[in-house]
Amino acid sequence: MVFPTALLLARTPNPDRFWKKRKIFKMSAHFYGRSRNCYSIAIRSVHRALQYARRSKDHKKADSIALYTQRIRAGAEEHGVPYVLFREGLTRSNIMLDRKTLSDLAAWEPRTFKSLTEIAAAKCIDDNIVGSRHLEEPKYFFGRDMLKRFWNR
Amino acid sequence: MSAYERVKQWNTFARIWHIYDAKWQNPFDSAKVISKHIQGLHKPIYHPLNNCGDHVIVFNSRHIALPGYEWKKRAYFHHTGYPGGASWTLAWQLHEINPTLVMQKAVKWELPRGLSKFGLMARLHIFPDEEIPEELLKNVTSQLRQLRPVPRTLDSYSDKEIEEFPKVMDYPNDYILK
Repeated sequence: MVFPTALLLARTPNPDRFWKKRKIFKMSAHFYGRSRNCYSIAIRSVHRALQYARRSKDHKKADSIALYTQRIRAGAEEHGVPYVLFREGLTRSNIMLDRKTLSDLAAWEPRTFKSLTEIAAAKCIDDNIVGSRHLEEPKYFFGRDMLKRFWNR
Repeated sequence: MSAYERVKQWNTFARIWHIYDAKWQNPFDSAKVISKHIQGLHKPIYHPLNNCGDHVIVFNSRHIALPGYEWKKRAYFHHTGYPGGASWTLAWQLHEINPTLVMQKAVKWELPRGLSKFGLMARLHIFPDEEIPEELLKNVTSQLRQLRPVPRTLDSYSDKEIEEFPKVMDYPNDYILK
């Protein structure tokens, strides 16, 4: 490119500017009003939208955890075991299932989930955890330790 | 889908009708249980956008028991919007006007805020006494457990029951009852 004067050199637009704007406009394509097509407004809206998107990644995780917890609580209370005791009993029985798995079991595998609540309740009663006296006595014995303790009684 | 699976699906997504006897129950504690069932929070398939709540019929709402001095001290606020239009109605006064309102407001406060409250409250049916319409009663398939045992009054014991009640000691023969 030939620039006869330095002034014209300064006035020449940056060839990348179109693509730079296009990158932003692609992200603002679904916005309403001038924040879709006017660059100075669009870039502000896009920056804000990206901030929201970042924040929502944390919110999504927290919301999922809350929903899983609620579902597990519903499933466990159906069998008369409070959520806190259910998780405590499972942890002490060394059953390391996460919330997502447990909530899936509660909805899709109710028999499996029921046996999990029985294991948790049995362990809570066995370890004499606070609140476990309201739980139902287990009908079965799970694990060698519980059976041993039963014989030694 | 097999016939068994289909029936299982119907049962999962069916709307259940629960019945709750509010006699001698704390309405504010009961509302927590009732609102849970109205929203469907007691089901493992719960989702905020999933319309899986149940119906609850509450009867004997005239005979609820408020804790402590709540009948005298709890005030229900209303404002007409005009200057000087504020009014405070005590719980016992409100109960005299309409014996279902204390229970209804207790459940309403427990539900999440927003427009969904109207749809959820439509699934709550409160009756002041034991008379429940037959068309509602025939839907009922489940009963919610009362939160606390109903206390018995002294009048409800028969003479025989009072005689047979275990005694610590007998009065001596020369003891004069006042």
